[in-house]
Amino acid sequence: MKHGFKFKDNEYDIGLSRSADGYRLHHAGQVWPFTLQASEEGGWILASNASGRRVIDHLAVAVDGDEVHIHLDGDTHTLRFEHALERLAQLNEAGAADAIRATMPGSLISLSVAPGDAVKKGQTLLIMESMKMETTIVAPRDGVIAEVLLATGQTFDKDAVLLSLEPLDADQEQPS
Amino acid sequence: MNTQDWPFDTVLVANRGEIAVRILRSIHAAGLRGVVVYHAADRLSPAVAAADMALAITGDTPVGAYLDGAQIIQAALESGAGAIHPGYGFLSENAAFARSVAEAGLTFVGPTPEQIELMGDKVRARAFVEQAGFPVAPSAIEDDDPASFVERAREVPFPILIKPAAGGGGKGMRVVRDPGELESEIERARSEGQRYFGDGRLYVERYIENPRHIEVQILGDSHGNVVHLFERECSVQRRFQKIIEETPSPALTPELRSKICETAAGIARSAGYVNAGTVEFIYGEGGEFYFLETNTRLQVEHPVTEQITGIDLALQQLRIAAGEALPFSQADITSQGHSIEFRIYAEDAAAGFTPTTGPVLQWTPAQGEGVRMDSGIAQGQAVTAAFDPMLAKLIISGKDREQACARADKALRELVLLGCKTNTRFLRQVLNHPAFINGDVHTGFLDAHPELASEPEVDSQTLTKLLATAAAMTRPLRDVADAVPTMHAAMGEWRN
Repeated sequence: MKHGFKFKDNEYDIGLSRSADGYRLHHAGQVWPFTLQASEEGGWILASNASGRRVIDHLAVAVDGDEVHIHLDGDTHTLRFEHALERLAQLNEAGAADAIRATMPGSLISLSVAPGDAVKKGQTLLIMESMKMETTIVAPRDGVIAEVLLATGQTFDKDAVLLSLEPLDADQEQPS
Repeated sequence: MNTQDWPFDTVLVANRGEIAVRILRSIHAAGLRGVVVYHAADRLSPAVAAADMALAITGDTPVGAYLDGAQIIQAALESGAGAIHPGYGFLSENAAFARSVAEAGLTFVGPTPEQIELMGDKVRARAFVEQAGFPVAPSAIEDDDPASFVERAREVPFPILIKPAAGGGGKGMRVVRDPGELESEIERARSEGQRYFGDGRLYVERYIENPRHIEVQILGDSHGNVVHLFERECSVQRRFQKIIEETPSPALTPELRSKICETAAGIARSAGYVNAGTVEFIYGEGGEFYFLETNTRLQVEHPVTEQITGIDLALQQLRIAAGEALPFSQADITSQGHSIEFRIYAEDAAAGFTPTTGPVLQWTPAQGEGVRMDSGIAQGQAVTAAFDPMLAKLIISGKDREQACARADKALRELVLLGCKTNTRFLRQVLNHPAFINGDVHTGFLDAHPELASEPEVDSQTLTKLLATAAAMTRPLRDVADAVPTMHAAMGEWRN
């Protein structure tokens, strides 16, 4: 497995190596030499001779954990670094997620279940509000509520885990 | 006015974000002390930093704290404030709050509670305007006779718009084109009105196709003087929310401009209106216009009016609240140049304008000739789902619309917010659309052009630059690269 970046919905395998005066990006069979230096204004200067002529861009860059936010030519982009080992681990992870996550940021209006409750697929678990609209979150499968991670009125970010189901026990699935 | 002439020396701002910062600026310009209340989520905000004193308020939710009138009045009394400026949103159009402020012996910077009640109730406001002889759209009002409401609604020429009587911000509004869907749509609008405003009363009015939203800024003093400060066009809207506002309106001839502005001033005069307010109209393709509603507060988009008139509206609000007469007459107010406001939202336009959140890792406002930024965020803060997603306003002025648009594109490219996705690219796509360039938009413009919200493909050259930058800025990758001696790396083909 190679290191990579997730950008929008795509994953890009890349490598980075040193060159005499900077770095080289290895991507899609191409090698792209460049330098990246801090500018006096607090930004960054990206330069490359790859096209035969020196091209310079002024960037703003901020790193937050595995996320790199880049402002380039009037637009802002976010790339997420994916460690080679973690990418491997993700592939082996069990398919059906037990965690129920928020598809957008919002706040919890009402909660219909408590830990220990048995729920049926399609049953209402909670009602959230986002963008001044209400959205009902239903159970993705039959199961038992393991944990409820927030209280009514609480706000959350996109992808936050709202509640989780007890993992399916393989034995129980078999008709006895 | 000298500082000693003011009936109060301290003003409390019962708001947050960019508008709290904006109002503090005028309070300080008047030589007064500015106090803010803040919820813990805002403790690092620029408003708290700009205030002479900041008092914490609490609530079940962060928004709840800013809606707790009793707590805010208590904070005002503790801080020695003699007046409360409510900003926009929150308690700004809450007549009961305005009344409680007065009962506590404080000055409410805004109109009287009676005016807020009259204008805040869309149905009563509409009836008032109609009786005063000003144009309103054909309509049916449930309260007139609830039993016959559906029947009367059916008689209004379709398509029609159903609105909650207590509404605002586009919530609960529904367009109905098919009379067969009238009853089910009424029920839906009623339940939304009930949920959002605790009031299920409705009214319907004729829906104007391809309408423009044109509004007029009003100032009235307690001596009976009312002036207008020209119009603002706010036709670029998504889901009934304004995102770009400008003045003058590209749609109006000088004759129509003066007619619509005089109508607004006439409505405010009939109501004996005091302080700053905005009269909103719906403007049809044939030049006809109808009264929509009056907002009894400072509007989000007030800065464009300030830019073309040179009048500080928040300062005038304070002077009016202090009992001063307006320092200018209608003839003194002139409009120079063109000004456009862009609302910077934390949202993902391509994902249906869903709100975004994240840390503010870098915030670099735009600068330059004709650029004004009213912002309420600071580096180190986080954008959360707790509050409205509007982060800042970019206000661009120029000698004409063309110059303002050119400056706007540059400013939207240059301002940097890293850590939380914003709508700046979307705003630029709207700005550069031929219809916007020609000033030929209506309130359904964005719905008719969903492609403006989509993200353009990133070309391969840009992708390479992004991957190279991201790689060089990512510690594990850089460490591995740096560990390989340069000579060795320069010689052999690099392999993972």
